[in-house]
Amino acid sequence: MKRPIAMFVSFFVCAVLLAGCWSKKELTDLAVVIAVGLDKTKDGRYLASFQVVNPGNVAGALQRGGGAGGVPVSIYTSTGDTLVEASRKASKKLSRILYYAHTNLVVISEEVARQGLNGVFDAMERSHQFRTTARLVIAHGHSAKEVLSVLTPIDKISANQIIKTLEFSEMSWGQTINTDVWWAIRGLTSSGRNTVVTGVVIEGNPQQGKRQTNVQSSVPDARISLDGLALFKKDRLVRWVNGSTERGVLWVLDRIKQTNITIPWKGKKEAIAYRTMGVKTGLKVKLKNGQPSILVHIQTEGDISETYVPINLADYRLLFQLEKAIGRDIEREVKQAIETAQHEKTDVFGFGEAVHRADPLLWKRIKKEWDDRYFPHLRVTVKVDASIRRTGLRNTPYIK
Amino acid sequence: MEHSKINVRQLFVLIVLFEHGSAMVIPLGVSAKQDMWIAILLGLALGLLLFLVYERLFHYYPDQPLTSYVTHIVGKPLGKLLAVLYITYFFYIAARVLRDFGELLLTFAYPETPLFVLNVLMAMTVMYSAYKGIEVLARTGELLYTLLQILAVVGFILVIASGVVDLTQLQPVLEEGWKRVWKTVFTETLYVPFGEMIVFTMLFPYLNRPEKARRAAVAGMVLTGINLAIIMAVNTAVLGADAVSRSSFPLLDTIRRIQVAHFLERLDVFFMVALVIGGFFKVSIFFYAGVVGVAHVFGFSNHQRLVYPFGALVLLWSVAMASNYWEHIHEGLKIVTLYLHIPLQIIIPVLLLVIAAIRRRFGSSAK
Repeated sequence: MKRPIAMFVSFFVCAVLLAGCWSKKELTDLAVVIAVGLDKTKDGRYLASFQVVNPGNVAGALQRGGGAGGVPVSIYTSTGDTLVEASRKASKKLSRILYYAHTNLVVISEEVARQGLNGVFDAMERSHQFRTTARLVIAHGHSAKEVLSVLTPIDKISANQIIKTLEFSEMSWGQTINTDVWWAIRGLTSSGRNTVVTGVVIEGNPQQGKRQTNVQSSVPDARISLDGLALFKKDRLVRWVNGSTERGVLWVLDRIKQTNITIPWKGKKEAIAYRTMGVKTGLKVKLKNGQPSILVHIQTEGDISETYVPINLADYRLLFQLEKAIGRDIEREVKQAIETAQHEKTDVFGFGEAVHRADPLLWKRIKKEWDDRYFPHLRVTVKVDASIRRTGLRNTPYIK
Repeated sequence: MEHSKINVRQLFVLIVLFEHGSAMVIPLGVSAKQDMWIAILLGLALGLLLFLVYERLFHYYPDQPLTSYVTHIVGKPLGKLLAVLYITYFFYIAARVLRDFGELLLTFAYPETPLFVLNVLMAMTVMYSAYKGIEVLARTGELLYTLLQILAVVGFILVIASGVVDLTQLQPVLEEGWKRVWKTVFTETLYVPFGEMIVFTMLFPYLNRPEKARRAAVAGMVLTGINLAIIMAVNTAVLGADAVSRSSFPLLDTIRRIQVAHFLERLDVFFMVALVIGGFFKVSIFFYAGVVGVAHVFGFSNHQRLVYPFGALVLLWSVAMASNYWEHIHEGLKIVTLYLHIPLQIIIPVLLLVIAAIRRRFGSSAK
């Protein structure tokens, strides 16, 4: 008699416990939030926008021949004094539970960034659902909600479009930086480094961009594009930089992988293009009479990718001259970036961290005033060793 | 007393799993900031010295556990008292680790499940393994040790491969000199996990070749110490000292940063498996030591009858001991260290060894 009872009890226990139904959530009850946008309302509260995937229309649109279905994502907004409040409040408009485990993108409006990011990320790093590997961008010119509303043609979910653009643009052009929430938090907590974040802009008309017709045209009415680099000081956005200055920042941060540099030759301004393949940047701190100075040493390798002037590239002595010219060009970009940052009194390069590593005692003394007093007058030497390894499938160009 | 035997390899495996236990997942030695890995290695060095004290005692009484040779050393009344003290200590630490385990799972994986339910599941498994005895536990250990090693190697490779390791975050080394590091050693890393080796004084008598005990234990401790130092160094290199000290579970944060080739990511389950395996062995060994101790001191021929009542005790204790996670951690780091770890891991064993040595010297021991 004992044995059947024991069997029954253990069977029962297993059936109840192993089924794992404790806090079950059906897939059809979840709203997968792929991106979060943050704006400020007029009365100073957060306006959170949630880009929710509309699963039926992501996979289905292809099978139906494209365009026939609805939109792949849907935007929900809600306001609140805190992020969690806004997120909970959104349930009033949503028939499903917001689910953040797949949130891959955070868009913060310029207004919020200028007022300060403190407090924005705490809920994100504290939550067990949210991941700090989510990418971070700043909406430049438009609100975060508008950025998230634009429908995109190739990657149906616009958050994915932005993430992939960030990734591949950093890899092949190097003027934008692929940062995540975690990197931003690191910048906020470190006293020797400030954060830089890439900006996104809408090219075209955001009102048209949120309609399905936007993706039915080969030239969409609105497109999302990465533009500019936001320099932060502590938690506030202080300056946008563009173009070569932007790349100058990334050279120092050692985030350049491939990029293209055009240098003048024999009087022609944009004459020879150089494509980098491998870049390594090192920071060295020198201490003289208790005054730190920094040596930025950049080493690049690459090929010649384009020429507009007749030049015999088979002559290796010429290549050495070109290398010097390329080095000067990179040096100019980097110096420009450093001057800009020094002007804004924000150490976005992590020079302070380098000083901390080199001389902890000195750092302890100066870290409070680093950004405002020491960094703006810091002597920075830039040394670039550019090397050209190959010249592609041709030596001399056909241009005579 | 149980008549089962374990071999040297099994002892080694048990020690490694036990020492990794919860030490791997909690922020260990974070008050040393980026030098926490040094603090762990120093903790290991001192822990080894401490272990030699335990080993010497075992050498004097090779067929008895701690709870019975104390009576030989300090006499019956005081010896019994000390034995009961140690048993209580083992049960208490078992309950503590059980609580750790429940809190960890609750925080990051099961926010809506009551703590009690998670602890019941673990406690049932622990009670079952204690009921089956040390041999079964040791063999389970051999099985899960392999799994844990594979996870560790794969996890390590993935962390490196995702390019998130930034060794400059380990610098500056010894920023504030040795003082901060030694302070961490003497307040944290020496006792957990290395000083906890005291519990193995209850298990050494089960060894089939007692003369090999020292080698296996030292090897196990060294391996664990180096592993833990590497884990914390990697945590620091990935997250930075600041994030590690703000994190509830640094290893989880490190694992969450793994992103390789767009599909090897979100490997939280690695952390979960390591946590469950480590937690299980730590609770089981403390609990088993406690139960065997009770059987010894109070003369039960069979420890199995004691498993369920004491299991229930540990379970209830684990839920009742603190009202929130940080109260629990504070008690663990401050109060338990001062009032339990230091006397029971260091002072009493050293005194016992001194008395035992004197008795042996003057030939008045072993009645």
